[in-house]
Amino acid sequence: MDVPTLFLFGIDVIRFSIDLATAYGLYLIVSLTLNLEAGFTGIPNFGKVLFVAAGAAVVGFVCGRLAALVLGVNTFGDYNGHIQAIIPPLDKLLAANPVVALEILFAGLAIAATIGAVLGLLTSYPAIRLREDYLGMLLLAAAQLFQIFLGGYEPLIGGSIGISVPDFFGWAGNGIEVRDVFVLGFVAVFAAVVYLYMERVARSPLGRTLRSIRDNEMASRALGKRDAIMRRNVIMVASAISAMAGALLAFYVGSVTPETWTRITWTFWIWVMLIVGGAGNNAGVALGAFAFTFLFKITDQVKFYFQGYIPFDVNWIEYLTFAALLILIIAYRPGGILPEKSSVTLPWKTLAEIMQSKPKRSAGVLGPGFASESEKVKKTGSDG
Amino acid sequence: MLPPPSRFWQRRRKLIIVGFLIGALAIVYLGGFWRPLPRISVPSYYLDTIVYASLFGLMAIGLTLTYLTTKVPNFAYGSFVTIGIYTSFTLFKLDQLDPYVSTLIAFLIGAVSSVGMYLGILRVLARRGSSLIALMIATLAIDIAFVGVFGIFSDYLTSHFGILDSKKFFRLRADFSLFGTPGVLFVAPISLALITATLYLFLNRTRFGIALRAAVENPSLARVLGIDVERAYVFAWFLAGGLAATAGSYSTLWLAGGTTSGSNLIVEIFASSVLGGLASIYGAAVGGLIIGATEILLTQVGINLVGSWVSIYQKGVPLAIMVITLLLFPQGLVSIKWVGSVRRLKRSVQGLRSVIRRVRRGSRVK
Repeated sequence: MDVPTLFLFGIDVIRFSIDLATAYGLYLIVSLTLNLEAGFTGIPNFGKVLFVAAGAAVVGFVCGRLAALVLGVNTFGDYNGHIQAIIPPLDKLLAANPVVALEILFAGLAIAATIGAVLGLLTSYPAIRLREDYLGMLLLAAAQLFQIFLGGYEPLIGGSIGISVPDFFGWAGNGIEVRDVFVLGFVAVFAAVVYLYMERVARSPLGRTLRSIRDNEMASRALGKRDAIMRRNVIMVASAISAMAGALLAFYVGSVTPETWTRITWTFWIWVMLIVGGAGNNAGVALGAFAFTFLFKITDQVKFYFQGYIPFDVNWIEYLTFAALLILIIAYRPGGILPEKSSVTLPWKTLAEIMQSKPKRSAGVLGPGFASESEKVKKTGSDG
Repeated sequence: MLPPPSRFWQRRRKLIIVGFLIGALAIVYLGGFWRPLPRISVPSYYLDTIVYASLFGLMAIGLTLTYLTTKVPNFAYGSFVTIGIYTSFTLFKLDQLDPYVSTLIAFLIGAVSSVGMYLGILRVLARRGSSLIALMIATLAIDIAFVGVFGIFSDYLTSHFGILDSKKFFRLRADFSLFGTPGVLFVAPISLALITATLYLFLNRTRFGIALRAAVENPSLARVLGIDVERAYVFAWFLAGGLAATAGSYSTLWLAGGTTSGSNLIVEIFASSVLGGLASIYGAAVGGLIIGATEILLTQVGINLVGSWVSIYQKGVPLAIMVITLLLFPQGLVSIKWVGSVRRLKRSVQGLRSVIRRVRRGSRVK
């Protein structure tokens, strides 16, 4: 079995589409989590790369070792040191045992999510206490330190040279492209689930609560919303999902190198997607992520034709273009391509009907926190 | 509410800070040099400490100036340091120009681009009503754009002038030597002390300096009094960019450089500024000294105790200091009431002891 090739303007269109779609899926997941943090809740996460890289590092560190342990590949007591000798037999065994491969894959994703959530919990400690600007600085600094840690601590992912990850999709087919189609399917399902989840959050009372925290912290506090806990939970959920996206990328690429995880690649680009698409609107973010990924990948394909005519690396132009694009969008269309819509609530008449017909549930319309508080008051009142 | 601080107290606070600055400088400085003759070779980390501390002091003063005026953390600030680095590097490679001479040119280039960034982008966005997060992400975008510009410039240096190490280069061998030590060890701290003293005189003794302070404290009231607030802000940004470029220019004599070396310093610069309180340029200078010295000395202690692998986590020190500052005293060093602080510390230790005693007694009863 093999994937057909189709050339158009000198580009292998099918290969290109697979690459594009996989990258889009991963970028979409991460940008949606940033939307949950920055778009809905107003947490300026300038350290996004930390969580994505943490997920990838988990895959590099845990999954290969786990596979070697389960499948009985001799690691000579030093997995990182003998990586070149371990990977080929491991790949073969994994291709022969799809169930084991998938189990380890899901275990890796779960561990990545856990580590991401723990890191989120750690960063949320200052995050729920600091003002936006201080928080931005702190997260940026923390992400940079983590990057140095990844590059410097060799037992984890082999220091600055990185580490190979065995192929957990080898069972899908011999051709590397058939495997990539399977990975794409996996990523697509995951991205769809994340999108639906985010959309559900955005339309739920929880989504409106988050927006109220973003827009007026004092007012939401007065309504009984516990903003600190909400923020902490948002950071933990977003970090867990970002870490899973990072893990998926490591599975897809088959290696983890610290150079991939920089302030530019997984913080700045994600912010570009968010701002260009429209913060606070999931459809907008999806559009922004697609526009960015498409431009980025097309430039990757086309730039070699121009390289001969320009005396410098074309990548630098990418930096300049996207920076200029971002600033122009902030200046002339601050809401992004698809700006945030006001949240959909029930019509006033329906609300009034609900309030009249079910007096007990009437408090529930205002939110779960409010209901429980009022019930508590009633209970203590009757006790006293 | 606390009563507003009296003028006398304000003046004394600044004097204390300036005195502390000079004292710390003297300790750091003399500790490394004043050895009985014949000279024992000074450990190189002492020299590192001096250079780092004074450079971070310079950078933190500039960052604090930009934060005071626009209230936006300037993530692109590290790139102005890189402007200084590349100005010195290029002029030295092409014309063998002494980096101390090119410092002046670097100051101008950095200052002009800083003003350009403020007038061309940040002020435009702020006037269009962009949120704080949007402004922060805009400064991050400017930083990325600068990295792109430096990349293009270094590629150009390689392709046109055949300078092969334009992306990553070692320290320039251009420094003069005084008493057997590199000149930058004298020039950088003296520059920091002179610039701080000049700024103190400027902000307290000249009309424009006082107007600048008024514009920072209360822009609308300053406008009512006929102060040209915009001109004051532009001047602050001019100074900030210039100081960053100066620090970058000096750093080529001591540190390796590259297209992102300025941006990578952003952790230390922010930590210094935050430690100083983000609202006081004297605090920033002290913060820079403390961050630079602590970073090098603590890492050295770690290397001696644990092993040389600790040196990778050098940047953990400023981050840790920043976290502690933000969580314990977010207004920075300036907010701490130093007078009587020992007495208060004693009292709180006593309180803690009594709590511990009570807890122990309670557990024993159980």
